[in-house]
Amino acid sequence: MANVDVKEYQRETHTTKSRLSWLWSEYSVIIAFIILFIGSSILNPRFLDMNNQLNILMQVSIIGIIAMGMTVVMLSGGIDLSVGSVLALAGVISVLALNASGSILVGVFTALLVGSFAGFLNGLMVAKGRIASFIATLGMMAGARSIALYIANGGSVSGEVSGFTMIANSDLWIFDVPVLIFFAMTALVFVLMHKTRFGRYVYALGSNEKAALLSAIRVDRMKIGVYTLIGTLVGVAAVIETSRLNSISSSSSGSQYELDAIAAVIIGGTRMTGGRGKIIGTLFGVLILGILNNMMNLTNVSPHLQGFVKGLIIIIAVVFQKRE
Amino acid sequence: MTSNPFITMQEIKKSFNGVPVLKGVTLQVEQGEIHALLGENGAGKSTLMNILGGVHQPDSGAIYINGEEVKMLNPRVSQEHGISFIHQELNMVSDLRVYENMFLGSELRNKFGFLKVEEMCRQTHEILSKLGVDIDPKEYVRNLATSYKQLIEISKALLHKSRLIIMDEPTTSLAEHEVNRLFGLMKNLKNSGVSIIYISHKLKEIKEVCDGYTVLRDGELVRTGSMEHEDIETITKTMVGKAISQERFLHEHPFGPVVLDVNGLTSNAFKDINFAVRKGEIVGFTGLAGDGRTELFESLFGYRKKYTGEVKINGQVVKIDHPRKALKAGMGLVPRDRKENAIIKDLSVLHNMSLSSMGNFEKGGFIQDKEERTKFQFYKEALNIKVHNPRIAIDKLSGGNQQKVIIAKWLEAETELLIFDNPTQGIDVGAKQEIYQQIVELAKLGKAVIILSSEAPEVMRICHNINVMFHGEITARFTADEANEEEIMNYATGSKREVAQIG
Repeated sequence: MANVDVKEYQRETHTTKSRLSWLWSEYSVIIAFIILFIGSSILNPRFLDMNNQLNILMQVSIIGIIAMGMTVVMLSGGIDLSVGSVLALAGVISVLALNASGSILVGVFTALLVGSFAGFLNGLMVAKGRIASFIATLGMMAGARSIALYIANGGSVSGEVSGFTMIANSDLWIFDVPVLIFFAMTALVFVLMHKTRFGRYVYALGSNEKAALLSAIRVDRMKIGVYTLIGTLVGVAAVIETSRLNSISSSSSGSQYELDAIAAVIIGGTRMTGGRGKIIGTLFGVLILGILNNMMNLTNVSPHLQGFVKGLIIIIAVVFQKRE
Repeated sequence: MTSNPFITMQEIKKSFNGVPVLKGVTLQVEQGEIHALLGENGAGKSTLMNILGGVHQPDSGAIYINGEEVKMLNPRVSQEHGISFIHQELNMVSDLRVYENMFLGSELRNKFGFLKVEEMCRQTHEILSKLGVDIDPKEYVRNLATSYKQLIEISKALLHKSRLIIMDEPTTSLAEHEVNRLFGLMKNLKNSGVSIIYISHKLKEIKEVCDGYTVLRDGELVRTGSMEHEDIETITKTMVGKAISQERFLHEHPFGPVVLDVNGLTSNAFKDINFAVRKGEIVGFTGLAGDGRTELFESLFGYRKKYTGEVKINGQVVKIDHPRKALKAGMGLVPRDRKENAIIKDLSVLHNMSLSSMGNFEKGGFIQDKEERTKFQFYKEALNIKVHNPRIAIDKLSGGNQQKVIIAKWLEAETELLIFDNPTQGIDVGAKQEIYQQIVELAKLGKAVIILSSEAPEVMRICHNINVMFHGEITARFTADEANEEEIMNYATGSKREVAQIG
């Protein structure tokens, strides 16, 4: 028994030694955020301007909402490439429903319904059809975009109900409503992932699917739930996107949103293969991307080069996280 | 033994994590000898062979080939010395062709760097026909029967001009006539001067082909000699050993009503399984690798769905096609291969413990951290789990403590029936004892317990009744008093089988 005690002791000292690296691995994204924030304020004084700060939040709110759902999907070990297309589809159909019914409520619910249904289909393909999530959602990405284009005849559709634009263009106290929705969704997903069994099961499933199944977890239902959740969040994002300009384009709206959302999740420290990652990490990942975009505009970096900088940051983030 | 062996492993010692696995073992193999390496699971056979194959480095001791000392620094060095290791699980790329597998990593190329396909096919064909095997070298390996794959592995060893081939249980997946073909081949190899180290549990086979033998027990060499002068009985006795002071856990208490009743369960891994387990009873299932017991209980637990037959729990017929339903019906499973099947390494010790019974920790749909902690404190004391901070990831714990957490998980789920598959796999002796103690306690509390283990002594120590399985069938049944290890071995290897089934 003495032998065992010695081993335990060694393990203890080991953890104290590596506490510093643990701090870095747990909070690296927050540290990176602080560095970037300070650097930006020094580089350009206009960055700290209150309006600019609120503007950044407004700009990231749509991607932020989607990234929250993407975090959950990626924690479960999957990926969802269809978010941009589903956003366009949900937007187009909800505008049609809005115009036909004249009710804002119907428009909003239609968007949520279309989004969650598309997500449900993704979940069904992944869980029951045993199709790799990359493939299933790639199919959905092509399919949803095509239906949106067909319905809108390749163009844009505009809302004809006054008041619909109020959703995205009014503010409460100093915050724009989309920012508040983004914060609310973040809080919701946070509670879901850390305080309910759904979250616990998603982590378990992403870490070791077989062990999760043998622990009597309904793995299939969890997967369907995860994709339905991101679909619903995409529906929320679609409402904001549509309401902002009172119209949605079937061809360009939501394009490449999946890449930005995935980038935010990765920068936030979630592991590609699932099981490890944090909602708070994604929140800061989203903010980092927002600040980067903002700074590049403020410092007049050519828009053609902005993608290069973004790509570089993603790769650097992953390289740092690899060192565990 | 003669004084001039081909290969000598001298006084090899090896420990893993402070646990000695080999305690000074010496092994000698002559040129052109088929040498049997015998011993129970965990006796140290595979560690010894992994040292010879360059996978592990010995703590002390030396290896000599033809009297010259060699260091097997890695598998490549070992291969260059003419040693080939044919593992139990075949190392073949099934999407490549036969000749591509044969030459994998040592392809023949012409001066432009292109592959010399025809030359490789010709050589493959030559070797295969020497073995009396007629396979098209361009056939895909996935289309071949397992026995042919085995033969291709051996051909590969020949291709590399091996002088010593290690075969780890090569006959487990072979049919009788294929075994005969393999033995013919081994004798041919022997005549051409190749030595073979043959690991197997099937003593009859060993008697048939082997010249010499070495028996290991608990990392020590217990007997070595020539096969001619020995009979199977004596060897079995040496393997098992008399003096092991592993007395049985005495536990006499009355059994309750039948909890689990299984009738005519059949699938592709097992056939016509009948048995019943009563409250308070510990039933053991043992057999060799590939006897179908794991598949049987994974089916009962709903992890595998394709089976026929009737399962009754507390007299009610149930159809279980998902582990969740098994849990609802009152069944818990502590699976084998903890790392792959049981622990969720990214979750904390605490969260692993509560995973199968989240309902116990919820209030209004939200998890109550405090209740989780209180409950864990209870199990920590009850099962003697050694962990300072239950919030650390479970894979930071030692194997024994991990297993205790998994057991706590299923205790918390409060099932009437608990199935333990290889519960002491990779666990040190002290923790083993504690786990046995726990299992016996559970039975005293009136739970029905099933233990699956490939180690006969383990089931003999704690079970009331023992079932022996061979090729997916229950071939014998013993009560704890009747059972002895040799008999169990006989049924597990298929050399004996009961004609009429009991009960």
